[in-house]
Amino acid sequence: MFAIITRELRTYFQTPIGYVFMGLFLVISGFFFTIGNLFSGSSNYSSFLQSILFIYLLAVPLLTMRLLSEERRQRTDQLLLTSPITVAQIVLGKFFAAFGVFLVTLVVTIAYAVVVGIFGDLAVWQTVGGYIGFTFLGAAFISVGILVSTVSENQVASAFFTFFALLLIWFLNLIKTIVPTDPVASTVFAAVLVLGLAAFFFLNTRSWIVSGVVGVIGAIAIVVLHLVQPSVFDGLIPNVLDWFSLLERFQGFGLGLLKVEDIAFYVSFTAAFLFVTIRLIEKRRWS
Amino acid sequence: MIEVTNLTKRYGKHLAVDSVNFSVSKGEVVGFLGPNGAGKSTTMNILTGYLSATEGDVFVDGVNILEEPEAVKSRIGYLPETPPIYPEMTVREYLRFVCRIKHVPKTEMKDRIESGLHTVGIVEVYNRLIGNLSKGYRQRVGLAQALMGNPEILILDEPTSGLDPKQIIEIRELIRKLGADRTVVLSSHILPEVSEICRRVMIINNGRIVADGDPTTIGGDLFDASQIVVTALGDEQTVRSILSAIPGVTNIQPQPTAEQATEVLVESEKNADLRKAIFEAFSSRKVPLIGLRVKNATLEEIFLELTSGVREAE
Repeated sequence: MFAIITRELRTYFQTPIGYVFMGLFLVISGFFFTIGNLFSGSSNYSSFLQSILFIYLLAVPLLTMRLLSEERRQRTDQLLLTSPITVAQIVLGKFFAAFGVFLVTLVVTIAYAVVVGIFGDLAVWQTVGGYIGFTFLGAAFISVGILVSTVSENQVASAFFTFFALLLIWFLNLIKTIVPTDPVASTVFAAVLVLGLAAFFFLNTRSWIVSGVVGVIGAIAIVVLHLVQPSVFDGLIPNVLDWFSLLERFQGFGLGLLKVEDIAFYVSFTAAFLFVTIRLIEKRRWS
Repeated sequence: MIEVTNLTKRYGKHLAVDSVNFSVSKGEVVGFLGPNGAGKSTTMNILTGYLSATEGDVFVDGVNILEEPEAVKSRIGYLPETPPIYPEMTVREYLRFVCRIKHVPKTEMKDRIESGLHTVGIVEVYNRLIGNLSKGYRQRVGLAQALMGNPEILILDEPTSGLDPKQIIEIRELIRKLGADRTVVLSSHILPEVSEICRRVMIINNGRIVADGDPTTIGGDLFDASQIVVTALGDEQTVRSILSAIPGVTNIQPQPTAEQATEVLVESEKNADLRKAIFEAFSSRKVPLIGLRVKNATLEEIFLELTSGVREAE
């Protein structure tokens, strides 16, 4: 795994991507800092952190776009997959390399915080919380990007899809406010989820039995929930969307609140995406 | 050493490899021969654990590659059809990386790389970016990669494709050298190459092994007549009349020739050597015989016979 990490790190800085990522991130964050804090004489650092969240959308796809798609295009995946290392080591190696570059870049922005600390009142714990939140958020975004780069052989397509996926996650907060909350809509939503799950199983196993069983279990679960705990269906859709909203969770960190629940959420979100990535690569060998 | 049982690979509805069985013993140099798309690369990708078979198993020394992938993979060196190289790395960085993912101990790494560089002859490009190397050098870097783990088994997919004639000769020489103390499986669609390097050839077509054996005897069973090419200074009529008088001759076919002579292909019963009879017949009629040779089926003919036959059968 360390071999993979070192190679990826080296590649970031032997190709323009590492520089473009760092440059883009630092230029835009510097821009926000100069306008938002220096020129307006504000020492509100957490609002700065809030505003640079959006740079993620642009920058993370750059970081992850070539990780696995390029291996496939160059056929170097044949080297990796026929070497005595596991797929998990490959994927984790790539994840930690991207995460490393991201962290280093993030650490550089601490300089801004120091400037605010010297010349103004820095809300220290909110800033620390914000940085911790950023670290976890970054990991989650990178895991999304890695999954996308597994699907596409084309770097540009991979960057675009990652961008849209992250944008969608970003918009979940807004979408949440317009979705219906009544129990009927929730039931339909749950049914669609069950159908989707059954379809997923069918596509993966090509077995009507397995997907049928999944569908039936899902249907029974919906009915049972209706009888036992109908309150679940009040506002189910926004609740589910909320659960997926990475940004909603970030707000707590920005306020200096470290909740185990939020950290566990980010860690499991990241782990889930990396796990699916590993499974996808392993599954491809069978098809 | 390698045991393949009932190997089948399906891509959707397309059957790429169709219940293939074979085994390769230690120290053998085996060539897969077949037209493009015959299933050679797919078979190799399964042998190395890059792909999984739809059905069937691959055992290396009795160990199933699916059950202990790491143990099996560390014993195999693989050069895929496209050398798996990173253009942005130098040869040195690349080989160091390969050593690390193949778990070469740090203390041995330097020697391993050094000897690999010399074996494949890329010492002079050691510090250059792979992306700037010529195709021949890239292929050799790929080959060096396959050697890094010091594998007992080498699997080489079209190792000479895209090289110029001089490089092809060098690579063949190299493979012969490597085959001295390793098990080698290579593929090619170039026939003389396989017969030159390998002591055993498997001809693959449409995902099936249609012939398996020594390249010099593999055609023996295929052609039911023995053939002799006769060249004589005389017109076709005379030559025909002399030959048809010889007992055992079943067919006479005139052949085009550049010489001022008549050349015919004489077919006879299998295992009947008519050379002496032909010589005596010509000498008694005082017709100068200037050429007389047994025609062996070349690998090309065997190949065409086998691959076209199978196609017709389907």
